Amino acid sequence: MKKVSIWSRTIGALGQAWAIAVKDLRTYYFNPPMVMFGLIMPVLLFFSFSVRRGTELSPQLGIINLSSMILFFTASTAGPVILILERRTRTMDRLMTAPLSMSCLLFGKAMVGLVFAVSVDLIPIIIGITIFKVRIQNPPLLAGAVILSAMSFSALGVWFGSFPVRSVGNVMMPSTLLRWPLLFVSGIFIPLSNLPKWVRVVSYISPLTYAHDAIKHAVTGSGSQSLILDMMILPFFLVLFLLLAIRLYRRVRKLGY
Amino acid sequence: MDNNGLTAIEIRGLTKYYGKFLAVDDVDFDVGRGEIFGFLGPNGAGKTTTVMMITTFLEPTAGSIRIHDYELPKESIEARTLMGIVPEESNVYTELTAEGNLRFTGKIYRMSRKDRNKRAKELLDIFGLTEKAHTKVQEFSKGMRRRLTVAMALMHNPKILFLDEPISGLDVQSARYIKKLVRDLNKSGVTIFLTTHQIEVANELCHRVAIIDRGRIATIGTPDELKGSIESVQIVEVSFKTPEDSKIPSLSGINGVNHELRSGSIFRLYTDNPTEVIPSVIDFSREHGLSLKSLNTLGSSLEDVFLKITGQEVGLVTGMYGDEKSPIRKRGKGRMGK
Repeated sequence: MKKVSIWSRTIGALGQAWAIAVKDLRTYYFNPPMVMFGLIMPVLLFFSFSVRRGTELSPQLGIINLSSMILFFTASTAGPVILILERRTRTMDRLMTAPLSMSCLLFGKAMVGLVFAVSVDLIPIIIGITIFKVRIQNPPLLAGAVILSAMSFSALGVWFGSFPVRSVGNVMMPSTLLRWPLLFVSGIFIPLSNLPKWVRVVSYISPLTYAHDAIKHAVTGSGSQSLILDMMILPFFLVLFLLLAIRLYRRVRKLGY
Repeated sequence: MDNNGLTAIEIRGLTKYYGKFLAVDDVDFDVGRGEIFGFLGPNGAGKTTTVMMITTFLEPTAGSIRIHDYELPKESIEARTLMGIVPEESNVYTELTAEGNLRFTGKIYRMSRKDRNKRAKELLDIFGLTEKAHTKVQEFSKGMRRRLTVAMALMHNPKILFLDEPISGLDVQSARYIKKLVRDLNKSGVTIFLTTHQIEVANELCHRVAIIDRGRIATIGTPDELKGSIESVQIVEVSFKTPEDSKIPSLSGINGVNHELRSGSIFRLYTDNPTEVIPSVIDFSREHGLSLKSLNTLGSSLEDVFLKITGQEVGLVTGMYGDEKSPIRKRGKGRMGK
């Protein structure tokens, strides 16, 4: 077989990952669990816990919170829904026996969450800018923070979806139970500085903490912790979750599902 | 078949454990390039696990697999470019159109846009799906989905095509179509690895057949070789003219009959000595006032080989009398030594 350069292999693999993402977006965009857990839930949560507090919520903070929550829920919903449905219909077998690596396959699945979450996230951002006249301090940083956050959360969803179960509900319920408390320890409803010390420790292991803070830096020009830390930790989570998912699929290659 | 001695698939010492359960036990066999190879076995014999390992879905516990010049699992990605896989269940994307499914497959196999458009058009035409090219697959019948699944497996012009129960549950027309396609593909040089329960399909299509039982290859050879291996067993097939099948008594008591299979008024009598059985059948019909409709001797079929090796009941084996379970039941059980 002729030797192929690393560059053309990478380009080829990215092309395959993108093809998977586009196919999934076409196939699952209006799938009921995607709409329920990815669109309706974050908006409902936002209005339940933000508007109800009785305190005046500034449009700036509203955008930061809603944007973070949409990215978190929408991006991390795509993975479990798509991967589990594809295992059930055995279309996943097709991809697992196609000439592409597991990392490329799962990266493609993670890109679905990225595109899905970013497109949904644009809605509150555009409404905030056009209707509530919110001024974004650093738009390129906002774009970067949104993309990085969506990718990390999407990888989290891919990891959830890689557990060998056949029903979407079997993963959506536990993953929602895990994601929900993270909302309360990641600085969205309660500022990080107001959290008790032990909760702060927990907040450091939540990717949402860094996403929320990076978006806050972009929108207001300041945050609760270092921006560099935020922007370095998010890709770390992306790689970590993808590696955990690949590990679960190695098990599938040994035992089937 | 002309493979110039080259192998498409080479399996050595292939073993698979699921925990402590041994599913595939030290299996060796080769499939020549350009061959139609049948892989038979009862449920739970290790057939699916073996195919899943060859197609890189599962990793073996031990042993080696070589696909053309590629060693698995090290060169899995390269080996996959040579393989087209048609699973038993049609796993197509129902939300996409027929053309969308084919184009997506082309992208995953890194075909250029020009090539995938050309190939998709060609396959839609070959499989009679051109009119439905832009229809979502969820509206397709089972036969159409099957045809699309085969088309997707052929999108990248594979050198080896794995077919799992290719005609199971299909109407006669679609089944005939798929069988013709298998022959045509093979003529064009594609190696076919056919997994089936339908023994007559294997008999009709395959150059060689392997039977796997309890995780081990029980026998391997051409259908004629396998049938010849149990030629001591012969069959006398007799049918009677009678308005009521249930009134015909059993013929199993006739001297020389080892066991009897019955389907309505047709009897299959398994014997080592047909010349002894035939006169006795004629005497039997006279004694019982039955009028003979036909009386034939038959050689062993591939199904007989399968039954001998696997100890299956005839009623559990499909194919001989069509797709449905045969109503015939076997009385005795035979088993051939390995």
